[in-house]
Amino acid sequence: MKTHRPGHASVVSALAAAHLRHDWILTLCLVIALTAVIAPLLVLLGLKHGTIETLRERLVEDPVYRELRPTQTQPYSEDWFAQVAAWPGVAFLTPTILPLSSVVQVVQSDGTTRLFDLIPTAAGDPFLLENGVPVPGEDEVVLTAEAARLSGVAVGDRLGVRVSRTRSGRSENVQAELKVVGVLPIEAGTLTRIYAPLAFVLDVESYKEGHAAAHRSWPGETPDPYPTFDGVVLLLDEPLAPIVRTGAIIQTGFARIDVITRDQAESLLGLPIPERLYAYDLSTPNAPITESNIRAIQSKLRGREPLILPYVRELELIGADGRRWHPVGLSVDDAQAARLDLPPVPWGGFQVRRERVEELTSALWPTDTAANTGSDMDSDSDSTLDAAPREADGGLKVTSPGRAELSFVLRPLGPSPLDQPLVPIELLGILRTARDRAVTYVASSGRFEMQRAGYRGFRLYAASLDDVPRLYRRLREQGLEVEAALEAIERIQVLDTGATRLFWLIALLGLGGGTAVLVASLYAAVDRLRAELGIIRLLGLSRAHGAFFPIVEGLMIAALSLALSLAVYGALAAVINRSFANELAPDERFCALPASLIAPIVLITLLLACLAALVAAWHATHIDPAEVIRVD
Amino acid sequence: MGDGQTAMVRMESIVKRRGQADGGFELRVPELWVDAGEVVALIGPSGCGKSTLLDLIALILAPTSAGRFTLHLAGEIAGQDLAALWSRGDEGALAALRREALGYIPQTGGLLSFLSVRDNIRLPCRIKGVNLADRELEALAERLGVAECLDRKPQALSIGQRQRVAILRAIAHGPRLLLADEPTAALDKPRARAVLADMNALARQQHLALVIVTHDLDLLAGHIDRVYAFDLERLSEFETRSTCRPLDDGKRVSG
Repeated sequence: MKTHRPGHASVVSALAAAHLRHDWILTLCLVIALTAVIAPLLVLLGLKHGTIETLRERLVEDPVYRELRPTQTQPYSEDWFAQVAAWPGVAFLTPTILPLSSVVQVVQSDGTTRLFDLIPTAAGDPFLLENGVPVPGEDEVVLTAEAARLSGVAVGDRLGVRVSRTRSGRSENVQAELKVVGVLPIEAGTLTRIYAPLAFVLDVESYKEGHAAAHRSWPGETPDPYPTFDGVVLLLDEPLAPIVRTGAIIQTGFARIDVITRDQAESLLGLPIPERLYAYDLSTPNAPITESNIRAIQSKLRGREPLILPYVRELELIGADGRRWHPVGLSVDDAQAARLDLPPVPWGGFQVRRERVEELTSALWPTDTAANTGSDMDSDSDSTLDAAPREADGGLKVTSPGRAELSFVLRPLGPSPLDQPLVPIELLGILRTARDRAVTYVASSGRFEMQRAGYRGFRLYAASLDDVPRLYRRLREQGLEVEAALEAIERIQVLDTGATRLFWLIALLGLGGGTAVLVASLYAAVDRLRAELGIIRLLGLSRAHGAFFPIVEGLMIAALSLALSLAVYGALAAVINRSFANELAPDERFCALPASLIAPIVLITLLLACLAALVAAWHATHIDPAEVIRVD
Repeated sequence: MGDGQTAMVRMESIVKRRGQADGGFELRVPELWVDAGEVVALIGPSGCGKSTLLDLIALILAPTSAGRFTLHLAGEIAGQDLAALWSRGDEGALAALRREALGYIPQTGGLLSFLSVRDNIRLPCRIKGVNLADRELEALAERLGVAECLDRKPQALSIGQRQRVAILRAIAHGPRLLLADEPTAALDKPRARAVLADMNALARQQHLALVIVTHDLDLLAGHIDRVYAFDLERLSEFETRSTCRPLDDGKRVSG
């Protein structure tokens, strides 16, 4: 015999529904009481969620907040990029090059040219995509709003850019025509920038350094490294009046001109300075001095017979025997040498590009050190040149320590008039350049060659705001200095945590109250319905079915309250969002419940209703039909 | 029939105690049976335990002890051992028997206030899982004179109408045994007579056994097959014992 028919649950449900309908005023009161608890909680949750989400989305929508920027320029290998791109949370990563190499000239609408920064990009660049512009392909570019304004081009136009370089003292340039496929909105930044594929940026860099970019028909070859200096010492027969002095460096690229004593000049140059000369130190803090600066000051002081001697600080050469030298660099013609009371130097005056390459590695070697070495002395060699170990062809092998060690061979041409080796100043300038840039010495040709600069930075975007702090820490662990919008992100996380805690506190209070209301009401309902519940037992339902009755009622009341609460919430949220509409973007909501939260809210409410009904259900199982059907 | 061996309900040596700490009431049923199609009356003054006996038969009150307590429905080979069901507390099986085989007419109708008359009448059918056609329901209602009340709530009915509806509800699902607890107590005599006559006619027609509790045998004159009465003994100041016994009914009924 079947004791439980599946139909009995539905019979009980129908009875419970009929009772709620019959006692509709009471039901309404209960539903209103519960709605009074649930609806404010929904609004509260919506507000909390809406405001936090709005704040987050404002950050999320601006990819700038997901960017991690390196604050220092340093070399990065291809391997490093491959590795970091695979880190979880990295949405986009592209290498960048030296900022100085990634500039192009753009002819502006008024005909003048202007330097624009060239920023490498690649497929998936969130900064472009999320600002609503496509990623440029081959021979295409995206401009910032300011760049578009200055160059007077719009999407679809072609932008002419000019890449220039100075080679062998001559200025050269090439042109390129690029299609503008997008212009960033002004909110994306006010800098004048051109976003182009990495390949184009690398070609520009190569060309600037003297290499060819064959597929673009940009000419070039392996470039000579250019010398750079820490400053120049200016020696004059007559002192400069203070006014002339300050005027002398205008538009020369020098930032300072200081009167120095002979001693100071001697220590900068490593040379004895005749007493009759007046000495000045010309330099630019934190920037190297190049050939063009020297030409500029030379033409500025024409007529005053200036002696302009560039210097490089703290440069060492290490001989093959491990001995350390502090070479003195001096390139002067015979007349200038005479003014310095020095014998002429075989390589003559200052010349950045020499016809005879071997002049660059010439040296005059000190003689008074013979006693220190000598074990490797050639019997037929000049006895004054025995200071260092010789190569087979008579060269002296030395090494310049720096970022990358550079070994090369010096050709001694005679004795040094000083106690240190005397070399062309251009050689020291190149060794100084080699401190920052990859320069190699090709033994077969006896030439120095400049290597490609390589990757010197990166553009990295995290996949989400929450990934930013983790990536930040990870890059820092690698010893990289990066900056990210950590504070803005953390502020929101703190706010979110606080608001969530507050919400739960209030929710706990509200849900406790709501549950209590339901417990009391359902208990009272069962008590009122004792006789009726007795009758349905008498008619053949078991205790369990009797207990089911208040549970069904509880669920129904909760469901009705939920529906009403959601309606109330919907209305209130609309009002709130409308009244804050001025502060919000079209898609933003001040009060918003995500769909994913609705299901848990419904489940939790129904679960609580069930729990509340359990007390009444327990009461219902203790009803004895024989006791309640008979009215005494 | 008549010896009770194949009776529908058979009770032997049943005791039901209702006790308070300072005393109690004990109902003893040495032997009682109800045959299929029979009308059995339980008569006695109030407090004699006739309603208690009815609730025992209705399976909503557990006997304190039972020598034999069976329910044997037509078509079943072996009867249900009710004593055993009660002793192992098989609430589900007892509930199933109630909805399958029993119909109960409480003293005051016991209609569910939140259901219409029609739904009240249908309720046992729905619980039993049988279908009751509207036509059939309306025909029955017509017969008992409550056809016009079907779509009202019980509160809107007179007491007589309520009792008629209660009778309809008790038989609509096709029970084998109808139990009635002074169904006409609240009615005046002519109305009570009419209601009982209708109930009896329906029971006879559907070949139902009927156990009816009453204090007024006159109302049932001509309908009763057998009568049980109760002997009350005061055992002490607080103890009362009531023993159920068959009444030599032949003369009384015919008289």
